[in-house]
Order: sequence, then C-alpha cells, then structure tokens
Amino acid sequence: MSPSQDTPGQDTPGQDLSQAARQLRDTIAVQFGRSLHIRTLDTGSCAVCEQEIRLLSAPHYDLHRLGFFFTPAPRHADLLLVTGPMVRAFGEAARKTYKAIPGPKVVMATGACALGGVYPADPFVHGNVGEVLPVDVWVPGCPPSPLALLQGLGVAVGRLAEKTPGLTFIAGQDIAGGAG
Amino acid sequence: MPFWFARGLRRGVVTTHYPARPDRSAALLPTPPAFRPRQLTRAAADRLVAVCPSGALSRPDDALIFDVGRCTACGRCAEAAPDAVTPSGEFELASTARSALVKKIPIYGETR
Repeated sequence: MSPSQDTPGQDTPGQDLSQAARQLRDTIAVQFGRSLHIRTLDTGSCAVCEQEIRLLSAPHYDLHRLGFFFTPAPRHADLLLVTGPMVRAFGEAARKTYKAIPGPKVVMATGACALGGVYPADPFVHGNVGEVLPVDVWVPGCPPSPLALLQGLGVAVGRLAEKTPGLTFIAGQDIAGGAG
Repeated sequence: MPFWFARGLRRGVVTTHYPARPDRSAALLPTPPAFRPRQLTRAAADRLVAVCPSGALSRPDDALIFDVGRCTACGRCAEAAPDAVTPSGEFELASTARSALVKKIPIYGETR
C-alpha cells in the first residue's frame, strides 16, 4: 500500500480527510471488495452498540455472507469499528490500535456517543471519536441497528451509496400542507 | 432429528437479504424525527431544543439545526410537538462526511 495512507489523520485529525478518505475508499473497493476484517474498539460505550454488533453474526443478519469478518487482532484488521464517546484515558490505546492496523484502513465511528451526542467533551471524555482518530464513516443511531451497521459497512467499502446527503428530515410537504 | 429438519423446511431461510432487498423489520426500528416546517414556530422549536436530551437540536437563528449524528431517536421531540414532528423512517444514515449529517430545518410557522 502507498505509505501516505498511514499519516493523514494521525497528525491532523479532521483535516484534509475527505480527499484521503476518497482515495482510501477507492483502494478498499478494489482490495477488499469481497473480504473485509473488522476489529471492534469499545472506547467507553454502554455496550448496547456491542450488542447490535454481535447481532451481525446472528443468523438473521449473517454478515459473513457479505464477506465481512470479525478479527480479534488489529494487525489482521482492515476496518476499525469504534463505539463509545472516547474516554480520555483510552485515547492512547485507541491511537495505538489505529497504528497497529496495516493500511489501507477504514475507521467507522458508530453510535450517537461516538458522533458527539450524549456526552459533551469534559475532563473525562473527548465526547467524539473524531477528536482522536481520523474517522472515514459515521454511523448514527443509539444504538445503530444491525441493518444500519450493515449499510455503514457497505458505504465503507464503497458497495452501497450514501443516502444522507439527499435526506432533508423535513416531513412530506403534502402532509404538512394538508394539516397547516 | 426429523422434527427440526421438517421445522427448518417449513420456516425457510431466516437470513435477511438486506442490501439486495429491503428488510421488513426495518419498519419497526426507532428512527430520527422528520419535521414539518409549517407547524414549527420559534417558540415550538425552542421547546424541542430544550427537550432533546442529547443536544441534537439547536436554534442559533431563524432555523432549526438538526444534527442527525447526535440524535438517539428517543422520540421526546415527537412527544412534545406531535403535530410538527414525526418519525422519519430513515435508518440508512451512514455518512462519510460528518457535516452531511447536520440538517437545517426552516421554520415557517411564524409567517403563516
């Protein structure tokens, strides 16, 4: 892999990421089109996200049919699935885990805590995974359902299109117009 | 053994076909709210901001800012203003840009 893929987020998380993320996604679509290994990282979550992640392996969702696998070692992983509000005491461990993953790699922040909801930044938590790691895919939800996680994984490897840019969260005008 | 075999045949495949085909259970999920701008007044919007436990809503000026990423789909806003807020039914919310999850909801209630 090209050596630049290790660096983009490490020094300046949150900056110049979109370009790097796009390149990375293109590479990953080619490299990991049918097989991607996931390492989960709990940075202080309430474990409900973990529960939903575990359900991905259950017969109903069965993520193996899509070529996704869980691995216990960051060295074997392609995707870092991060949950929780990033407790400050865990920051260093999270950075080391990210470093240990060989490139190209994807970071997926999962759940409202990881996205900056629920816990505002305070002396104990960063309150946002993006403060420490260069996040490529954000998956909202509290917890995100296994279906939402599957869609997130699909977006991460470039197999599914993102829907969020097109969503307005404005209820249909016909309903609103009819009532008001 | 014949019993579970027969039962398995009767029930068929339980695994979802999700990315290829929609999953029926998706309709049961709690989803972030969608807003009706015509029913929203500034006062109502401020009530929603106050009731949101995860800070997903804010009203810096004449529009309601909804951060979908922070939303926990708890439904308190829909309870506080049932005519202006309704579940959106959207669960496919993964995004590669954090900013794409922040939505601006206009407030039209005042000018009506």
